[in-house]
Amino acid sequence: MRVTDKMGFNQVTSNLQKNRSEMSDLQNQAATQKRINKPSDDPVAAARVLGARSDEKMNKQFLKNIDVARSFLETADVSLNELTENLVRAKELTLQAANDPGGGEETRRITALEIAQIYNQAIQVANRKLGERYVFGGFKTNHQPFDNSGNYHGDDGDIKIQINKDTYVAMNVSGDKIFQGQGLGGDGIARQKSDTPKSTDELQEYKQQEFERNQKKIERESQPNNVELRGPASVSDTRRKATRVGPPGEDYDTVGINILQTLKDLEIGLKVNDKEVIQESIDNLDQAISQVVNTRAQVGSRIMALTNTGETLQKQIIENKGTASSLEDADLFQVVSDIQKGESTLKATLETSGKVIQPSLMDFIK
Amino acid sequence: MAKIHSMMDIGKRSMMNSQTALQTVAHNIANKTTEGFSRQRVDQVTAQPVNEGRLQLGMGARAAAVTRINNPVLDKQLQLEGGKMGFADSRSESLARVEQVFNEQQNKGINHYVSDFFNSWRELSNNPESLTSRTMVKEAGQALAGDFKRVFGQLTAVQKDIDGQVKMHVDEINKMTKEIAGLNEKIANVEILGNPANDQRDRRDLLLKKLNEKIDIKFAEGDNGIVNVSTAGNALLVTGFDQRNLEVAQDGQTDRNRIYFRDTENGTPFEVTERVKSGALGGVLSIRDSYIEGLKDSVEELATTIANEVNQAHVEGLDRKSRGGGVFFEVDAKAPSVIEGLKVAEDIQNDVGRIAAGSHDKSVGDNTVAHVISNLQYREILDEGASTFDDFYAANIGQVGAIANQANMDKASQTDVVKQLSTLRDSISGVSLDEETVKMIEYQKAFEASARVIKTADEMFETVLNLKRL
Repeated sequence: MRVTDKMGFNQVTSNLQKNRSEMSDLQNQAATQKRINKPSDDPVAAARVLGARSDEKMNKQFLKNIDVARSFLETADVSLNELTENLVRAKELTLQAANDPGGGEETRRITALEIAQIYNQAIQVANRKLGERYVFGGFKTNHQPFDNSGNYHGDDGDIKIQINKDTYVAMNVSGDKIFQGQGLGGDGIARQKSDTPKSTDELQEYKQQEFERNQKKIERESQPNNVELRGPASVSDTRRKATRVGPPGEDYDTVGINILQTLKDLEIGLKVNDKEVIQESIDNLDQAISQVVNTRAQVGSRIMALTNTGETLQKQIIENKGTASSLEDADLFQVVSDIQKGESTLKATLETSGKVIQPSLMDFIK
Repeated sequence: MAKIHSMMDIGKRSMMNSQTALQTVAHNIANKTTEGFSRQRVDQVTAQPVNEGRLQLGMGARAAAVTRINNPVLDKQLQLEGGKMGFADSRSESLARVEQVFNEQQNKGINHYVSDFFNSWRELSNNPESLTSRTMVKEAGQALAGDFKRVFGQLTAVQKDIDGQVKMHVDEINKMTKEIAGLNEKIANVEILGNPANDQRDRRDLLLKKLNEKIDIKFAEGDNGIVNVSTAGNALLVTGFDQRNLEVAQDGQTDRNRIYFRDTENGTPFEVTERVKSGALGGVLSIRDSYIEGLKDSVEELATTIANEVNQAHVEGLDRKSRGGGVFFEVDAKAPSVIEGLKVAEDIQNDVGRIAAGSHDKSVGDNTVAHVISNLQYREILDEGASTFDDFYAANIGQVGAIANQANMDKASQTDVVKQLSTLRDSISGVSLDEETVKMIEYQKAFEASARVIKTADEMFETVLNLKRL
């Protein structure tokens, strides 16, 4: 092949350029520690890195959510523990008052005072706040859920917290369930509602359901036998016992114990020395205690679920990070050894270039 | 019979021939680095001999022509591949800029802001009462709208930049076609006398190659060595000695620079933009008019869908004071596209309490709607229910990367092809100093020898003239 001067020069420039551009790529990788510096470096990996990063961010958010839910549920747990202790104390006092053969009117009046104290404490527990939010008010977290006569002003909303994709946990138990025994499950346990609308269509349906449920509730409350009867111990008042209304199995159809009302009744019973009421209160307090304990168990199992999910999320975050790193991070050893290789190639090119360009016949003719 | 003066004459012409050859050597050496130059050589032939009786006497040599050494087929191929290289080169350059718009390896981009936006709704669902959480949602919404605008704006900026390039390329094309028409005239004038117009042809070949790198042209050499050049179907840029300009004008609708051509001086210009398929111009036009437009459509689709879905859920909800929720995202009706007019609704900007997190009356702790909205992030809404927002955007990034990657590889391989062809051309037409040096010595010696012949003839004359003195 005929070799001309221009060919030699062109070859030298293009070879040098190639070496230099490879070196600059490698240098960039070493400086950023990343294999992918723009999408075209590895299009598939670049897209997957984005997915891993979004997942990581989402999982971190879920961990935050879990912290919020946990502190809320723990507050509920502590409060319910306090309530249980109060109820146990009330039961002891009632047992004493019921069994004490010499228990006269005077002793019972004193007991009544103590029960009144317990009632106040129960109200206090029911109005417990975490930060600015009432724990037992359902969705109505900004209003005191119970007034002093034990009327409930909150609602039965379960505040759901998202702890993973498609997993929601209620971080509260509404006061009407624990304190008034409203809307308990068939077995008398306060459960979280299972449905959380996930799309606008479901949301519309949910709103309709909630509307119908509310209508029913209003209807039920307006029925004559459900009218709350005030006044001294009314033995025949069925509302304060665990009663099943409606067909079994349906949610929110069992009415448990109205704890506050029970305490109030007991106080009045003791004051007016009504043995029958006092006797009946022992049963009611028993049921009340089990109602609270059951709810606590619910709360406890939710906290446990949160802890477990939290651990899973931690692992997932590490995995997400690993995925992103394996996709986009440069293998530093590889890069450094490549740089060294590139360097020696560049040197070799430079050295040979000098030799290729220099000699010509001109140099040898005098 | 041989004559001394014809010997002298041969010597004289031989000296002239050597000078011609040496001058050509000098021309070659001088143009060693001239782009597109083909080395030249003197075609030397024996001069017409004379018959003297039974003898035929050679009358020395004469220079028949100065020709260039080249391979027209190779030149043609080089022109063709050069066009493809121009296309790949300009595409890869523009795509590198497009890619930078979507580079989330180094900058925060839409993916980041979409994540932040939906996470802010999750934070809100933790604490719907809090004004801080609400403000975060508002801020994240604004940041998301802002980043959509950034992407859209930067894509438009790349298009604008390409508009400038189109103008520049067309100017250069016009300059080159003008020169080609001029060269046509010169070549015709020179070659009518029978001499090849080497340097002009070299220059014209180079221009045709460069022209083809800019725009896809068709050309053919006709009689008298004239080349006619046409582009974009039937736009005749060079006919004989005449040349017509391509024109650039803004299209009223899109404000894009478009290319026009008119057949006659006062003819109506017709648009040829769509017909430019190759060369640097074809490359940038394909990026500007089809690729970036497509990307803008995708981003617009993403923004529109997010805004619509969020709004649909949001209007179902109730705000902090249990008023019915309005829209979360607003689109300025005057804006030319959804993205350019996208913003968080004025109501919400003025009062974050207007963000609707719940669906129950008088329940500030209700977060049902916040859940529905944060859930949108992994609902498969786009691509007819096959992709989430994240999937859709990631697929876009993957595509941007893949296309840029492909363009880079095309460019590299096309550059290699052109380099190989150029090397081949240099091997044939390039100037070798060694060769020229050898020729220089050769012709110098010939020159010296010819001088010696003249001197000898002169001495011979002298001998003859001195005969008388004896």
